[in-house]
Amino acid sequence: MNEPVVVRNLAKTFYDEARGEVRAVQGIDFECRAGEIFGLLGANGAGKTTTLRMLSTILTPTSGSAEILGYDVVADPAAVRKSLGFYSASTALYPRLTARETIEFFARINQYPGEKVRERVDYLIERFGIAQYANARVDKLSTGMKQKVSIARTVAHDPPLLIFDEPTVGLDVLNALEMQEVIKEFRAHGKTIVFSTHIMSEAEKLCDRIAIIHDGKILACNTLENLRRVTGVHYLEDIFVNYVRGQG
Amino acid sequence: MLYARELRSALRERNIVVNSILLPVFLYPILLWLIYTGISFVGGQTEGFSSRVVLKGLPAQHSILKADLERDKQIELKDSANPTADIRDGKIDLLAEFTPAQGLAASLPGNFHVQLTYDGSKDRSSIARGRLTEKIRRYSDVYLDAEAKKLGLSSAQLQQYWIEGRNMATSRQMGQFILGLMLPMFLIIMLSVGCMYPAIDSTAGEREKSTWETLMTVATSRRNIVIAKYLYVATMATAAAILNLSAMVFSMKAILAPLLGARGEGFTFQIPLRSIPLILLVTVLLALFIAAGMMILASFARTFKEGQGMVSPLYIATIVPVMFLQVPGLELTPTLALVPIVNVAMVFREAVAGIYRWPLIGITIAVELFCVALSLWLATVILRYEDFMLGTYGGSFGKFLKERLLARKAPLGGERK
Repeated sequence: MNEPVVVRNLAKTFYDEARGEVRAVQGIDFECRAGEIFGLLGANGAGKTTTLRMLSTILTPTSGSAEILGYDVVADPAAVRKSLGFYSASTALYPRLTARETIEFFARINQYPGEKVRERVDYLIERFGIAQYANARVDKLSTGMKQKVSIARTVAHDPPLLIFDEPTVGLDVLNALEMQEVIKEFRAHGKTIVFSTHIMSEAEKLCDRIAIIHDGKILACNTLENLRRVTGVHYLEDIFVNYVRGQG
Repeated sequence: MLYARELRSALRERNIVVNSILLPVFLYPILLWLIYTGISFVGGQTEGFSSRVVLKGLPAQHSILKADLERDKQIELKDSANPTADIRDGKIDLLAEFTPAQGLAASLPGNFHVQLTYDGSKDRSSIARGRLTEKIRRYSDVYLDAEAKKLGLSSAQLQQYWIEGRNMATSRQMGQFILGLMLPMFLIIMLSVGCMYPAIDSTAGEREKSTWETLMTVATSRRNIVIAKYLYVATMATAAAILNLSAMVFSMKAILAPLLGARGEGFTFQIPLRSIPLILLVTVLLALFIAAGMMILASFARTFKEGQGMVSPLYIATIVPVMFLQVPGLELTPTLALVPIVNVAMVFREAVAGIYRWPLIGITIAVELFCVALSLWLATVILRYEDFMLGTYGGSFGKFLKERLLARKAPLGGERK
């Protein structure tokens, strides 16, 4: 059986006025297994966001292929988008919609069965504890509340695959911990999760397998235990440095 | 402090400097030149036609006046069995009736009274009145000078005949004439205003609020997203135009009547019912065209402020043609039917007066449809560029046109779906 995410020789080249041609991702390969949290660990500019944007069809690959639940990201982008929920710090909410309207809008536009939308929206409002603010406009909500609404809109159509691009960036400790708990809960409900971060402790706590990405290339991809065994060091920070310096 | 920070950041933004400072500096001289050229062009068009005039009862001793009128290329003397009916039907423009002078004025041999009959709701007829009045006044000055010299008097002492105007247009026709002058102007202004902010908000505004990327992840095609936004902007523009026009028609009498004094009290400001479908059609076409243009420009901006700077030149460009519409005697001609925006305003103006030149209306609709299609094609081509879709492209439409479209540079990343 095919894995939910299959990436083969995926590459992305940009043209930047200042830097010229930029090879952001250089032929990476990996697979995510059903029900696991797969972490992309890398420094800023390593190619994490570009990779996740290609998986979520926001960007088109320059070469290579990626399949999400059997759908090719280039050939069938709408089907891919229907199958996943994408969350990042740069995916904001519409300030003039209420929390309830936001969740309902994303459930409907992502083709969740019409007759079940109301029930789903009520469930998510209850699950994320936003009932008190459900009818308040998003721009009136606190940062923490906005974060909850944002997660709710990501899973509004109950997709089997969730992509989180540095989800804790800009959050305080408590909100970051809550985000981690939510991600674990999604895994417990059988979701496959692709997760990018540059925070080592987050990757250590959450990820079933970790891919270390640097300069658009994947240097290693394994479980934390196997990475420890191969490198002979314990902490993920040291493992990461070991691979990055070793490549240099 | 906040003001200074805003000013500093704005002045460091190239697009804002170009659109808000450089363009106005160079744009206004160009615009003034364009307006002058446009008025000259339009003036040339009105000078091109001759006024069809019927003379009745001109005394034989004033044959010099008739000869002068015959020599004038702008005046064409006609015969008519029923001149008033012919004026109404637009077959002739004016009837000049000469009758013998009465009272003291009759003591001067050959002296006369002139009544000019015309249709004030027709520009051609009003222009004919102006031309004849001018000709007769000039002739009278010469004639009175000569007669006064014979009698040893001043010409002022012999000023005993008058030109009297009689407007044949009904109060309804006059109301439609005034509506036709004013409403096209407001149509274009209101439509552009109604279009501008939704166009910016749905493109640059989305980027500024970081909702653009959220939208890119929904399970529908990019094309659907763009079409939905386009229809939203066009709907807002149409609604703004129609609502404003409706309100204006209903309140016109209350606004204009006091300005027109006793003349305006009897005017009926009413658009013929059969013109309404045509007015709606051309309004929608214009909204589709302006919405496409404004969205293309605004979508190059990353903030609302940048968007305003980018759309403003188009906003000004849509309003400039309105100025030409105030030139008297302007009619929808085949040439004007080919000029986008102006043609719609002219069709609108004539539809308000109940005039339908169907071949020219057909040309107007075809031209507007072509412009809409061209704009949508351009938008489709631009959307293939990934950096544009993501909002990472840092230039303006002009730069994009020069460096990408005209240079035929292929989009990186392939076509978006």
